Amino acid sequence: MAQSLENLYSILPAELDGWKKAESTATYDRSNLFDYIDGGAELYISYNFQRLLAVRYKGTGDEEIVIDIFDMGNSYDAFGVFSHGREREDGLVGQGSEYNAGLLTFWKDRFYVSILAYPETQAKKELVLSLGRKLADAVPKEGELPPVIGLLPRADLVPESIRYFHHHIWLNSHFFIANENILLIDDKTEAVLAKYKTDDKPVHLLVALYPDKATAKKAEQSFLQNYLPDASGGMAQLPDGRWTACRIRENRLAVVFNAPSRENALSYLDRIGARQPPEG
Amino acid sequence: MKKKTLITRREFIKRSSLAAVGGAVFLTKPEWAALNAGLRAKSFPEVQKSKVVLVRNKDVLNSQGRPVYEVVLDMLDAAVKELTGQPDALSSWKSLIKPDDIVGIKSNVWSYIPTTTEVENALKKRVLDAGVREASIAIDDRGVLRNPVFQKATALINARPMRAHHWSGVGTLIKNYIMFVPDPPNYHGDSCASLASIWEKPLVKGKTRLNVLVMLTPQFHGVGPHNYNPKYVWSYYGFLVGFDPVAVDATGLRIIQAKRLEFFGEDRPLSPPAKHIFTADTQYHLGTADPSKIELVKIGDDQDILI
Repeated sequence: MAQSLENLYSILPAELDGWKKAESTATYDRSNLFDYIDGGAELYISYNFQRLLAVRYKGTGDEEIVIDIFDMGNSYDAFGVFSHGREREDGLVGQGSEYNAGLLTFWKDRFYVSILAYPETQAKKELVLSLGRKLADAVPKEGELPPVIGLLPRADLVPESIRYFHHHIWLNSHFFIANENILLIDDKTEAVLAKYKTDDKPVHLLVALYPDKATAKKAEQSFLQNYLPDASGGMAQLPDGRWTACRIRENRLAVVFNAPSRENALSYLDRIGARQPPEG
Repeated sequence: MKKKTLITRREFIKRSSLAAVGGAVFLTKPEWAALNAGLRAKSFPEVQKSKVVLVRNKDVLNSQGRPVYEVVLDMLDAAVKELTGQPDALSSWKSLIKPDDIVGIKSNVWSYIPTTTEVENALKKRVLDAGVREASIAIDDRGVLRNPVFQKATALINARPMRAHHWSGVGTLIKNYIMFVPDPPNYHGDSCASLASIWEKPLVKGKTRLNVLVMLTPQFHGVGPHNYNPKYVWSYYGFLVGFDPVAVDATGLRIIQAKRLEFFGEDRPLSPPAKHIFTADTQYHLGTADPSKIELVKIGDDQDILI
C-alpha cells in the first residue's frame, strides 16, 4: 500500500490522455520549502509540514499540470491546511476536496494535495479529478479529524466555515480579532473557528484547547483584558449591539462573537461539547 | 523595545458605529493605518497631492486574456500624458527619461500573473522613443543585482501586477524592489513592514521615474500552495500609474479590497494586512497612502471600476 511520497509518485501514470509525467521531481522539506513556494511556506510549516513532492505533467506547448503532494505528518494538520483554504466542499476526492477553476485541493489521512491545471478546460478538469482520485485511492486509510471539531454545536453550523489551526495568524485570516496574539494561540493549541447561520450577520464561534488549565486561564485573562475589559460574567455588548462572550472550562476556552443577544451567546457556550446526534 | 499598538476588531466596530459607515473602515483605512491617522508623510506637504492615474480599456485583453500590445501602448501614453501635463505622449515620455539615461525596467516574473512581455515591451519602446540607446535599457526581475544595466542605472521604471500575497497582504510596487537586496527573507517579518526601507538603498534611491501597477488581471485573494487560483483573478483592464509608489499601491489596494467585499459579500480584511503600504507612508515617508492626499484621475472605461 502506498503511504510514502515516493510510493504516491509511483502510482501516477507515466502518460495520461497525451500528458506525460516529467521524469524529474522535486522534494522539499522545512528548510527549503521557501524556495518552492513564493511567500506561502509559512502556512504549511505552521501546520506541521514534513515534506513536499512536486510532480509535473507536460502537455502540448508549454502547458503543464502541477501536482504538489504535502506530507503534513498527521491527519489533523492535513485537514487543517485544507480547511484554511477552502470556500466549500464538493466531496469529489479524498476525505474533503474543493475543485475550482482548474485547482483541485483535497486531503486524506496525513496528505494534503493540490493539483493545478490552468487555464481550465473540461478535458483538463476530468484529468485533474482522475489524477486526484488515483492519489486518494493510493492512501490506504482515512485519517481522524481533530477532536476539537467534535465540540462544535451542530445546529446552524456552516460546515465549510470550519477552520482548524494552531497559529493566531490563521485565525485573523478568517475573522480578524487583533493584530497581537491576545488568545495565546500557538503550536501547542488546538483551535477551531466556525460560522453559524442566523437571520442576520453570522455568529462566529472559536474553541481552543490549550495544553493545560493554567495556559487556558492565562488566555482567558488576556482576552478579557485586551478585548472585553468591560465584560460582566465574561460577556459584553459591543457598540454594534452584538454580544461577545467567553467561557473557560478546564483547558478549554470558547469565545462567541457577533451573537444577536446575551441569551443567544450563552446558548452557544452551553452547547459546546454537548452530546450531539450523529450527522446524517 | 517599543511596544506595538494593539488593534482589535472591537476598535473597528466602535469606529464603524461612530461613523455609521459600516465596513467602510476596512475599505479605506486598513486597521493599523486608521489608528495612525495623525501621522503624516513628511515628504508630502499638506497642500501637495500625489497624482495617480487610473486608465482602463476593455480592448486591452484579447480573447485569450493576453494583453494587446498596441492598446497597452495607448493606455500608458494616455496615463503618462495626464501625469506629466505635457501636450503629447512623446514629450511626456521625454520629460521622464533623457537620452543619456541608463534605464532599468523592473518587472515581475511570477509565473501565474507576470508583468507580461507586452507591458515590458511597451515601456521599452517608449524609453527608446525618448532617445535612449537599446544597450542602455534592460528588463529584469530576479537578476537585477547581477544585471550590468541595473548596476549602472540612472533611471528605473517599476512595473508589476497587484496580487494577494501570503507575506505582505498584497504584492505591490513597493515590494517589487525586494530583489534589489541580497537578503529578501530578512524583509518578510511583521508582514513585510520594512519593505520601503529598500527604496533608500543606493542602487535605487531617487532613481524611479515611473511606477506602473498592472491591473489588467489582478488577484484579490490567494489560496493553494502557490497562492493562486484563477477564481480570484478578474479582468480589470487597467493600469494605475504615478510617481508616488505608495499612492499608487494604496489606490490599488482600495480596488482589491472593494473586489473582496463584492466577491465575499462581507468585509474580509487581507491577511496579513498590507501593512507595508502604510509604513511606507508613516515610517519611511516614501509617499502617501492617505486617500485624501491622493488625486485620482480616471481615464477610459468606468464600468465596474470599484473606486
